[in-house]
Amino acid sequence: MKDVLSLNNVSKSYRDADGSPLDVIHISRLSLATGEQVALVGQSGSGKSTLLNLIAGILLPDSGEILVNSTNITKLAEAARDRFRAANIGYVFQSFNLLQGFTALENVLLGQMFAGGTNGGDRAVKLLEIVGLGKRLHHKPRAMSVGEQQRVAIARALVNAPPLVLADEPTGSLDAKNSEAVLELLQQICADNKHTLLLVTHDAAVMKRFDKVIQLEELR
Amino acid sequence: MNLLKIILKNMRQRALATTLTTISVALAVALTVAILHIKHGMENRFEQSAIGYEMVVGAKGSPLQLVLNTVFNLDISPGNIPWSLVEKLREDRRVKAAVPFSVGDNYHGFRIIGTTDQFGEAFGYKLAEGRWFNFSEAALRDAFIEANEHAHERIAEERGETPPKPAEHHHEASEAVIGATVAEQTGLRVGQTFIAAHGLEPSPNAEQHTDNPWTIVGILAPTHTAVDRGLYINLDSFYHIEGHEVRDKSKAEAKKEEPKDNDPDPGQVSSVAVKLRSPILALTLYREINDSDNAMAAFPAVEIRKLFSIVGNIDHILLAQAILIGIVAGVAIAVSIYNSMSERRREIAILRALGARRGTIFAVVVLEAVSICAIGAVAGVIGGHIIVFLANAALQRVSGFTVSAFEFQTVELIVVAGCIILGALAGLGPAARAYRTEVAKNLAPTS
Repeated sequence: MKDVLSLNNVSKSYRDADGSPLDVIHISRLSLATGEQVALVGQSGSGKSTLLNLIAGILLPDSGEILVNSTNITKLAEAARDRFRAANIGYVFQSFNLLQGFTALENVLLGQMFAGGTNGGDRAVKLLEIVGLGKRLHHKPRAMSVGEQQRVAIARALVNAPPLVLADEPTGSLDAKNSEAVLELLQQICADNKHTLLLVTHDAAVMKRFDKVIQLEELR
Repeated sequence: MNLLKIILKNMRQRALATTLTTISVALAVALTVAILHIKHGMENRFEQSAIGYEMVVGAKGSPLQLVLNTVFNLDISPGNIPWSLVEKLREDRRVKAAVPFSVGDNYHGFRIIGTTDQFGEAFGYKLAEGRWFNFSEAALRDAFIEANEHAHERIAEERGETPPKPAEHHHEASEAVIGATVAEQTGLRVGQTFIAAHGLEPSPNAEQHTDNPWTIVGILAPTHTAVDRGLYINLDSFYHIEGHEVRDKSKAEAKKEEPKDNDPDPGQVSSVAVKLRSPILALTLYREINDSDNAMAAFPAVEIRKLFSIVGNIDHILLAQAILIGIVAGVAIAVSIYNSMSERRREIAILRALGARRGTIFAVVVLEAVSICAIGAVAGVIGGHIIVFLANAALQRVSGFTVSAFEFQTVELIVVAGCIILGALAGLGPAARAYRTEVAKNLAPTS
């Protein structure tokens, strides 16, 4: 099966307060196949979110290569990387990261806009209906529960049918009931559409839902 | 979903700041447009009014006063000139036409001007309806004689003597042709009559010349000049009014001069508008008249230019103030958007994570500032025209002219374009800050 994501010898360091380099990430090898669903776990501060930002092309590694759908995103210019991210990577955040001034539908359409989406609002509406928000299309985030907000974020991440979906502790702000529902939804849609899902968590209950769990420390 | 929608959402999210900064821009533009519009309109009206009046001749004094009085129906007459000078000018080979004017009365604030039937032809004024008044030199001469007789009578009465009985005189009909604005504002029509009030300005205590009503025989087509605001009567009828001196009263009193029969200089007029056969002859005639003792010549175009060079400085000050308000508004926009960048860092990071390029974010912020300025500019242009509309009553009172509030000028497009550039400049700082927003750092959960 084709690899949707492949990381080889990726490292990222920051400079600490006294200017000395602080190794945050070092990944020897990581690859995910099409449709694979993987939970990535690690200690707090181990660089899980940084890894997702590297895969999304939001950050650039100091060295190594990151291939998404066979494209080495580290070699792309920033604007091309942005375009590539919009079209190929869906990103779900712990704090939803919805734009408060926009309705549920508009938030989803924003995801489509930067990918140069041409299918109008049909797919956005369909996805919001799938996540159970068909009747709340025109509600703004502040008028929604946290569970509903995260479902909008999932619809936004999936609106461009990206081959790779990244989720950074998507249930971190939800109660147990909402966590279960949101995860169920995310995993189901990814499975139905053969999207590869890489989900960062430190929640044991979440880990149990995944056949494959990777410890970040194991990737060094 | 498109960039415009994102920009409008951003503006709505900062509704108060957006509204206030838009109002500042609108205020600056409204003032600028109103000043430019009124300046341009007034210059046009003054220049239009001066067309055809190559030279005016009147009593020695202020040339500007003479021009304002003769051409624009403003200010008071600097004095009178002898009728013999009118005749001399008429006979001068360099002169194509010399049209005399006598002023001293008004009708509801509109000046009544005694003149000859040459007035329309010499300056190309057309009638919208009716005909020109009848005028004859013989009637004018007779009017001068009659006025002199009345002067004899008055002097005799003042001395306690029995005044000689004035001869019977045949009066030509007192007829008038009125300007378009007079007709519009007073409702006077052809066939109706009006009574003059003494003085150039309306006054509740002004003497009414009830014994000498004028019949309107024609209405002038609109000229958009001071002519629209005048009532033009045959000059002879002007002297039928009691108290209209045919000679300078003060000089006559000073010299204890008695009017003479068969006086070679039987009358006086306020001024003469002169049309020349060739402009190159203007200067010699101008010098000759100004070298004489009893008259002065002035070029309306020159005097108006001088007037606008004085008034222009006030315009420049007002314009500078308006531009300053615009710059302050631009700075306010820059500060307001710049300050909002702290609150918007997360939104910018979200947009970037969704695939928005740095350039797109930069453009969104610049276009937001541009939109505020553009909306303010359009509102300001409309506001400027409303100011002109509202200022017209005051303009008419001061200058006698109005400026069309519904005419748009090219300069307004320049003002709008200037505002858009100002907006773009105001947006550069905040946009640069947005451009540099760190995505990963600002996407992290806040709690």
